[in-house]
Amino acid sequence: MSGEQTRSPEAELGLLDATMIGMGAMIGAGIFVLTGLAAEIAGPAAIAVFALNGVVTAFTGLSYAELASSIPKSGGGYAFVREIFDDLSSFIMGWMLWFAYMIAGALYALGFAPNFLELLHVYGVVRPPEEVGALALPVVDAAVPVGFLLAFAAVFGLVALNAVSTAASGSAETVFTIIKVAILLVFVAFGLASPMFSGAEFQPLFPEGSGAAAVLPAMGLTFIAFEGYDLITTVTEEVKNPRENIPKAIFASLAVTVVVYLAVVAVAVGTLGASGLAEAGEAGIAEAATSFMPTGLPIIQNGGALVVFGAVFSTLTALNAVVIASSRVAFSMGREGQLLPSFGQIHHRYGTPFVAILASAVVMLGSVALPTQSAGNMSSLFFLLSFVIVNVAAIRLRRERPNMHRPYEMPFYPAPPLIGIALNLILTGVLVEYLLRTDPLALGLSAGWILLGGAAYLTLNRLRAEPDSGPAAAEAEMAPETED
Amino acid sequence: MPSALDIVIAGGGRVGFQTAEILADRGHEVTIVERDEAVVSEIADEWIATVIRGDATDPDIIEQAGIEDADAIAALTGETGLNLAVCLAATELSPGVRTVARIDRTAGEAYTRFVDAVLFPERAGARVAANEVLGSDVQTLADVTGNLDIMLVRVAEGAPAAGKSLTEVRFPAGAVVVSDADGYRIARSDTSLTPGERYVVAVEPEVADEVMNLLQG
Repeated sequence: MSGEQTRSPEAELGLLDATMIGMGAMIGAGIFVLTGLAAEIAGPAAIAVFALNGVVTAFTGLSYAELASSIPKSGGGYAFVREIFDDLSSFIMGWMLWFAYMIAGALYALGFAPNFLELLHVYGVVRPPEEVGALALPVVDAAVPVGFLLAFAAVFGLVALNAVSTAASGSAETVFTIIKVAILLVFVAFGLASPMFSGAEFQPLFPEGSGAAAVLPAMGLTFIAFEGYDLITTVTEEVKNPRENIPKAIFASLAVTVVVYLAVVAVAVGTLGASGLAEAGEAGIAEAATSFMPTGLPIIQNGGALVVFGAVFSTLTALNAVVIASSRVAFSMGREGQLLPSFGQIHHRYGTPFVAILASAVVMLGSVALPTQSAGNMSSLFFLLSFVIVNVAAIRLRRERPNMHRPYEMPFYPAPPLIGIALNLILTGVLVEYLLRTDPLALGLSAGWILLGGAAYLTLNRLRAEPDSGPAAAEAEMAPETED
Repeated sequence: MPSALDIVIAGGGRVGFQTAEILADRGHEVTIVERDEAVVSEIADEWIATVIRGDATDPDIIEQAGIEDADAIAALTGETGLNLAVCLAATELSPGVRTVARIDRTAGEAYTRFVDAVLFPERAGARVAANEVLGSDVQTLADVTGNLDIMLVRVAEGAPAAGKSLTEVRFPAGAVVVSDADGYRIARSDTSLTPGERYVVAVEPEVADEVMNLLQG
């Protein structure tokens, strides 16, 4: 009758669970994948990069907390913006957020590949990652890089999983996050104790030639490592006592994440050195770990393997989270009539927002062909822009709906959202300028996505403006409730 | 026409709140306007709707509730006159909006000249309010003990499950199609969900919005 579906109503999530979801999203791949790339740009100042990003994000976090406590919708930033902005603005917001999540998915997949190769390498299955070149395909007359294949396979597998099953993760997420954080703490502990760290070299703090200015583009690149609280606000319906717990979860997850990040980056820079990290790129943390973790352990043999496993595990869980998040944004837009209605429909056979997931998958699979750095930059760019709009939404709601009940009110209004907007715009400007110089491809693709969105918006409006053959508005009805 | 409606409810008391809860369970977006600070706080704890604190007859307040974009407004305070005033003001601000007023007299027929539907909570309770707001495509038939909903749902043209047989459609756990289209038989596996026909469906509130999505798109 109802099929053999095992989808039970969600368990209620407590404050800890909600915090863990936010942390799980943030301490995903960002720290494992982007530390090396940040060190490449900013040198040992990568530590400052993560600290400053935490500060920038905190201002937007205040807006998120206020909006999430007063607008009970589980759609993340898009739902809040939809509440107060007209069709076009909210469409753009949804369109950008959807893209940010999809590109984040590609970024995590691209981060997964080298870490996975590193894991195989630790156990001697394959040669060192830098020696694994490409697979020659007999069918196609070209060599395909192994990393690309792995990234593609990871996206494909998780999309397939989410497209045909509705295994909701609630408490599993908590366990995943605890595992990730525990692995990072082990990394930090051994790193601090290692002789390599005692001779840590944080001088010169900034890379030669670019000075302190190098921090800004690195901030832009790594900004995505802090996007997790948008995810908290996508699962709010399941949180117990949401008006208290959601703001708390947002702040707690942000605070803990910043502390963990700083410790990890400090250890990574202190042991491997900024130049070593930069060389290792996406597998920076993993390489740092293999350099100082004890070897000759039972079962796992090399302690570094634990951290490499953490990187593989984190990139996969984060990828899974953004596959779900991106399809939820598209699903919400479909339900609101801002994308084709089919996006907002649950598939009759699989019980999932099938069309939304497939559409997201197309962009994700296409994006794994990008260089990791481009993916990070594009995703960060769109998160920055989305967060600007969320801050504006908080201000507009305050002005236009002063009587809206706000269980959590941010302190020192209007300073936080204004500062948030200013800082995000500065980072956006720096990032765009940096992309102009170094990565016109990413910038072009970003502009292309916005243009595509404009075209989609106009087309949909055209479609809707055509005379509807649907049923006319329901006749006035009267409940037959007369007393005899 | 988006599948999730924007609904404003004036009065967050017992009736208004219950109505909001049912509508939110079915996946619609609800904004409650409520005067009383203590009630506002209670509603906020439940976290099912955005709450605007103020007097629903004040045009500024009703605008803050987003009446321009709303699909329907239900005035469910305890005062008939106030409810009618709210509906009239809403129609003035947003001509296409569907209006439902709670009244306390049985001579309610006359009021339908001003509003789309009226209801007597004393007789029908909050479930009728939800049905009225949604029109005739989804009707709650009965209150079962506990919180199950037995509904009469019209399958919409182009909905995900439209035209499919029951074996082809995977309903979430906690939902059952009870009858076939004409209501003479209990549903079998070969029963098909014909667009335009109405079926008796039993659902748990947790999955009501998914079932609505499957049957109504």
